[in-house]
Amino acid sequence: MAGGMSRLFRGETTVNFYGRRNLGFIASGLLLIVTVGSLFTQGLNLGIDFKGGVAFEVPVAGTMSEAKAKEILVANKIKTDNVKIQTLTSGTTKRVRIQLGDLPTATRTTIQEALAKSAKATVNDVSVSTVSSTWGRNITTKAIKALLIFFLIVSLFIAWRFEWRMALSAIIAMVHDVGISVGVYSVFKLEVTPATVVAFLTILGFSLYDTIVVFDKVQDNNERFSGSKVSYGDIVNVSMNQVLMRSLNTSIAAVLPVLSLLVLGSGVFGAIALREFALALLVGLATGAYSSIYIASPLLGILKERSDQYRSMRGHLSLGVDMAHLMHTGTPVGRRASARAATEASQGGIPAPVAVETLLSHPPRPRKKSRR
Amino acid sequence: MTRRLVLSLVAIVLLAGGTFTANLVAGNHPALGLDLQGGASVTMTPVGEVDPAALTVAVDIIRQRVDSLGVAEPEIIRQGNTIVVNLPGVKDQQQALDTIGRTGAVEMRPVLKVAQNPENTTTTTVVGGPTTTVKGATTTSLKPASTTLPPPAGGVGSSRTAAVTTTTIPAATAPVDPITGLPQGQTVLPGRKDGLLYLLGPAEATGEVFSNDSSAQVDAGSWVVVAKLRSGAAGADVWNALSTKCFAGGADCPTKAVAIILDGEVISAPTVQTPTFDNGSVQISGSFSQTEAKDLARVLQFGAVPVKFDTPTVQTVSASLGEDSLRAALLSGLIGVLLVLLFLLFYYRLLAIVVVGGLGVSGLLLWSVISWLSKTNGLALTLSGAAGIIVSIGVTVDSYVVFFEKLKDDVQQGRTLRNSAARGFERAWRTILAADTVSLIGAVVLWWLTVGSVRGFAFFLGLSTMADMIVSYFFTRPAVLLLAKTKLFNRGRVLGVAKAKTSEAVA
Repeated sequence: MAGGMSRLFRGETTVNFYGRRNLGFIASGLLLIVTVGSLFTQGLNLGIDFKGGVAFEVPVAGTMSEAKAKEILVANKIKTDNVKIQTLTSGTTKRVRIQLGDLPTATRTTIQEALAKSAKATVNDVSVSTVSSTWGRNITTKAIKALLIFFLIVSLFIAWRFEWRMALSAIIAMVHDVGISVGVYSVFKLEVTPATVVAFLTILGFSLYDTIVVFDKVQDNNERFSGSKVSYGDIVNVSMNQVLMRSLNTSIAAVLPVLSLLVLGSGVFGAIALREFALALLVGLATGAYSSIYIASPLLGILKERSDQYRSMRGHLSLGVDMAHLMHTGTPVGRRASARAATEASQGGIPAPVAVETLLSHPPRPRKKSRR
Repeated sequence: MTRRLVLSLVAIVLLAGGTFTANLVAGNHPALGLDLQGGASVTMTPVGEVDPAALTVAVDIIRQRVDSLGVAEPEIIRQGNTIVVNLPGVKDQQQALDTIGRTGAVEMRPVLKVAQNPENTTTTTVVGGPTTTVKGATTTSLKPASTTLPPPAGGVGSSRTAAVTTTTIPAATAPVDPITGLPQGQTVLPGRKDGLLYLLGPAEATGEVFSNDSSAQVDAGSWVVVAKLRSGAAGADVWNALSTKCFAGGADCPTKAVAIILDGEVISAPTVQTPTFDNGSVQISGSFSQTEAKDLARVLQFGAVPVKFDTPTVQTVSASLGEDSLRAALLSGLIGVLLVLLFLLFYYRLLAIVVVGGLGVSGLLLWSVISWLSKTNGLALTLSGAAGIIVSIGVTVDSYVVFFEKLKDDVQQGRTLRNSAARGFERAWRTILAADTVSLIGAVVLWWLTVGSVRGFAFFLGLSTMADMIVSYFFTRPAVLLLAKTKLFNRGRVLGVAKAKTSEAVA
């Protein structure tokens, strides 16, 4: 394994990402099906900021305090993670305001009575009113509109800076990431708060950023190999392996602070408010890094292989040593090798799996005519 | 070449350090959001029966007003039949009231005379004129107190002397004594910013003649306000009656100008350019600044909402999360960033000191900008905002990784570090630029088109992306290029990669 690590470190891996694209597609497809199913059956657990709920206001008197209010809620078996308890001050009078999700009428009355008792006031002194969402439908509409416009402008930018196939692949990968992140929220019934939405947007940004970096490498290699007959699958494979270390490093660098927020911040230091935000980010960063390698790039390869320029070489993949050769010299292994690959392909056989581990424990040897 | 690199390095470090110190000296520091430090809670109770739909519109408009104050992520909730606005960090309750407490009865009156306000000698700024660039209020030296006032307008067009005419005259105008002797319906009101006094005829239209989508736009290079009229008797008819009268310039509207009034202040007094506005849209132009145009548009939007509120009540509201949450976020975030640095140190060895420096510079820059905007624009950091910034640090580390990986490639292929540094940066910069542009597009679009916390997110995304680009070009590039020339960095395995033997590299 040490050999594998050091090859990874030196950027000499020859993983056949493109050839194994179906693995990624199937995995993602399954996850997306689960997401859609879960969204239809149990939907999303929207927090008070989206759904609105109930607000109690109690005068501060007797034993009433923010902590006491929380105790009363806990005594009534209400989860206090996302309940907002605040003190309102106006001149000398103080009131505690408690905002929480919708409650059955019976519970509502029980709590109202408990609050009144604690504040040594009559039930009528405890006001109960419904509260609207702070995050109105209007905000959602605006955000969605903004996102669509963002997709459009970004597609145009990528199409102009790179090409339209890359734009399409990048957008699909981005939608995939958000889809899976939303799915995690739906399946595990995590509460969606405005912070979650912000986390999802961060994921979108990260996923797109990551994809662009990978595509930039593909574009680079595209120019590099433009003189020789190399299939697009090879270009994708070579690029993937070249940026693999970058992708890993960046993901580690991005995940470390998030993990720290999750484990230390919400776990050790007890800032529960951070937990779901960090969780959403963690899931998103992971899918973002995964999708630029397993979704965006293979999609690009599929689209590109259908184009006129690459159609003739469709399906040719240089594997193992051949890929390493391609990576280092910028030219494919001689015609004989490709012919062999072609016959193997036409015979329906998979190109013989090269024992990469043993062959690549040292940098590839110079090509010798007499080899084999 | 070396001199320019050193210059760039010194300049960016000085800039970051300088702005940081300046903010520190000025006592600016990042303000905290509602969840972390609480703020003011303003409760607005509507008068009488209110249509729930109208209340929703009112919420939207109040949200816009509050959002236009900055990026403070306010909370706006309908609680029962009231609207509750929570503003972060507003210690001065009166300020919160001033911000959203104006009740927003907008009315339109013909301008009879204009004069310099004796109490306010600031120089006149131009008041917007309509349809084409015409200065609405010229500084004729007529005093409202003058006895040559025109006779009171007859019943003409006073079809809508609605209930809103109860506007009280602010005490500021009191020195002009004979006002009290003015004919029925006439009044003298001050301009909001222009230092003028207006003698006005009876209110003939309310802000409700316009639909609530007035907007500030750019027309032929200058800012104008476009307002749409409601059709029929509720809007266009009333407005056209007023505009026809004023266009004619008769005794009941000698100046040909219509004053737009909000809460006893003349916001703008445009001159009418056409007798009727048949296409249902009114354009008000003048030498507006962007802020003035937007302000006027907002006044019109607000006036269009048929909800009147009682005097709002203000309460201070405590933080819902509190200090320890923030401390936990900051502490764990810092530990996270430290781990990232350790990781990079392990991976890129000595080069990681560039990352440390770069993160330091961008940290100082971000802190400065956030502090400064907290002071000037009411920006406030929520818990998720603070956490988001910490996360963005992890993401911006990517630009170093991209650069260093390219360097490593080159060194491995047998180039010297000195050689590959400039080349590597050029290639990495292209990548960084492409990726950061996409992030910036996202930030700008979301900032522009959304409200609330999404807007806050867009703001910080844009900020950290800009910092990334600036630091990459003005700090990382010169730092690495200079370090690559030192002996230390050309000795052996600085990058953790041995220079490949030539035979292998060409393999």
